[in-house]
Amino acid sequence: MRYDSDELREKLAAEYVLGTLAPRARRRFRTLLRQDPRLRRAVADWEQRLSPLAEAVPQIAPPARVWRAIRARIRPPRLGPRQSLSFWRAAALGSALVAATLIVLLALPDRRPVSTPEMMVAVMNDVQTRAPAMTVSWTPGGADRRVLRIRVMGHAEMAPDTAWELWLLPGGNRPPVSIGLISTHETQTLVVPAAQAALLDAAWGLAMSVEPKGGSPTGRPTGPVLYSGPCVKT
Amino acid sequence: MSPDRIAGLLVRCARKDERAFAELYRLSAPKLFAVAVRITRRRDWAEDVLQESFVNIWHHADGYAAHKSAPMTWMTAIVRNRALDWLRRPREVEADESHDELLAAVVDERPGPEELLRRATDAGRLAECLRQLSEEQQRSITLAFFYGLSHGELAARLERPLGTVKTWIRRGLDRLRLCLETR
Repeated sequence: MRYDSDELREKLAAEYVLGTLAPRARRRFRTLLRQDPRLRRAVADWEQRLSPLAEAVPQIAPPARVWRAIRARIRPPRLGPRQSLSFWRAAALGSALVAATLIVLLALPDRRPVSTPEMMVAVMNDVQTRAPAMTVSWTPGGADRRVLRIRVMGHAEMAPDTAWELWLLPGGNRPPVSIGLISTHETQTLVVPAAQAALLDAAWGLAMSVEPKGGSPTGRPTGPVLYSGPCVKT
Repeated sequence: MSPDRIAGLLVRCARKDERAFAELYRLSAPKLFAVAVRITRRRDWAEDVLQESFVNIWHHADGYAAHKSAPMTWMTAIVRNRALDWLRRPREVEADESHDELLAAVVDERPGPEELLRRATDAGRLAECLRQLSEEQQRSITLAFFYGLSHGELAARLERPLGTVKTWIRRGLDRLRLCLETR
């Protein structure tokens, strides 16, 4: 079947709004959408047409923690409650691709000869903008396995009287484990306490949250998560 | 929950009025959460979708004016898109999340699409036009809308070939648009 371009535009817009476009088509369409005002118009029209259906869905009150998490995120310097682990994982998930690309760039200049054959890298993204914001790398199993090399990208700023705390995400349903406080310096190293070092090499990902000065008082993240990302072995 | 009230709150959100944002959330979150729960089929995922959506709404409230649609339509679209992106995200990392198993849960969802369609009678014209479609067209479109099912999932659920389902949807949407435009 052939479509002239208006027809194709209409068909794609309808299926985008309905949600039936396949993942790749959906992402491609999103890119087109940014460039084509007529396509945006077609999408808005379809949203208008179909939205009365959403009215029919019976309301469900969301749990209070959702609002607390939202408030914490729109006011980064203020301290909010802990966000759900699944949120962290979701945020980290998106960065897997970026991680794969960046790893090559990171690993090459840093790679030392034979003695360090492998490296673990976590590329952490800004959870809001999804842009790469921080990388953490270390040599698993080696003598200096507890030494994390950290690079903070851009010019991040820390709110007064707060601290940046780095968390190890063990994966599964296990809660985050604190591995120390970091600064906003572009390059820094962090020596992980021996007790946590054993978890490092099997870590699923890392995350960084804003905590009160001196670190989380509870041993769990209490403030908003700014950066997170999965660990990848190179 | 009058559209004017919601629109007014959005305008205040664009000026970074946190009290307006809190009120907007109080009024609209239960409806939007329900939309997210339907599509993601998991409360924890729906919570994340709702969170992401409202952070988005806060940051882009100033973009609402340009959209020229009803405020709930605008916010519903944000939530649906988040939820759909969530479902369609690359799953290499979470290969254990079998979508087929989740799909089975759809059967237990109440009210089902037919009942929802009946309730949408308030939506007058849309419901009327939907009823003019063939049963298959109507069913595949409402299933896709309420539960975020992809073509492949619809084909599996309706036990029909992929091509057939795609045609139902395409023709159904065509007829729907014509019906809505000509009345």
